[in-house]
Amino acid sequence: MSASDFKDGLIKEIPNLRAFAASLSGSMQLADDLVQDTLLKAWGNSDKFEPGTSLRAWLFTILRNTYYSLYRKRGREVQDSEGTYAERIAVHGNQESHLDLADFRKALAKLPEEQREVLIMVGATGLSYEEAAEICGVAIGTIKSRVNRARTKLAELLSIGGLDDLGPDRQSAAAVQRTGAEIVRL
Amino acid sequence: MSDVDLEMTEPDRGDDQELEPILDPKVQESIGRSLKAHYDDLVNAPIPDKFLVLLAQLEAQEQRASAGGTTNERL
Repeated sequence: MSASDFKDGLIKEIPNLRAFAASLSGSMQLADDLVQDTLLKAWGNSDKFEPGTSLRAWLFTILRNTYYSLYRKRGREVQDSEGTYAERIAVHGNQESHLDLADFRKALAKLPEEQREVLIMVGATGLSYEEAAEICGVAIGTIKSRVNRARTKLAELLSIGGLDDLGPDRQSAAAVQRTGAEIVRL
Repeated sequence: MSDVDLEMTEPDRGDDQELEPILDPKVQESIGRSLKAHYDDLVNAPIPDKFLVLLAQLEAQEQRASAGGTTNERL
């Protein structure tokens, strides 16, 4: 793989790297620092990337390890002092989904990191359970278990435990929380 | 830069042995949709120029190095 092809591959993955980094760290500012570090490390170690394998999975591994070794503590400090990033970066979409998204992000931020990261990986990034297992260095069963627990915890945080709480037209789990919190159900 | 960062070090804690509650499929779907909305919103955000500048610099640096080094050292 030429340097130019590798560079193009990295550029294509930047949006996913930022999204994953923000989900992991809870801060857009930290996410961008993390992405920059990841790109530098990837470039410096490009000879270790095996063409034909998933560049995204490889980059996520670097990003995740960088986060756990350098950024995790900083992330907590930033979250504590500035609150979550939810309000500041939810700038797309209409007003209603904006609010729902902010609610969902607050709940997401409350999950343990090990659950949040796998939920994002398999639920949003298109990575497989196998790839997530490899990235995290754990068994596939562990990934499945973490995803299950993450979903259960989110449902609990968003108060959407029962069937009745979910109308067919709901766009978002978070939307239910607004009414669910106020209306006493049987 | 350390090679350690590229390796997968976290031990398997074997926490897949607990019994898991099964969530209602509709709840799962709803969470899935919110998850995608959250992630897609981030993915669709514009990329800061600094990343493209950084990669262009790295590439230029490598080209200079392989060409035996020329002028214009900016990094």
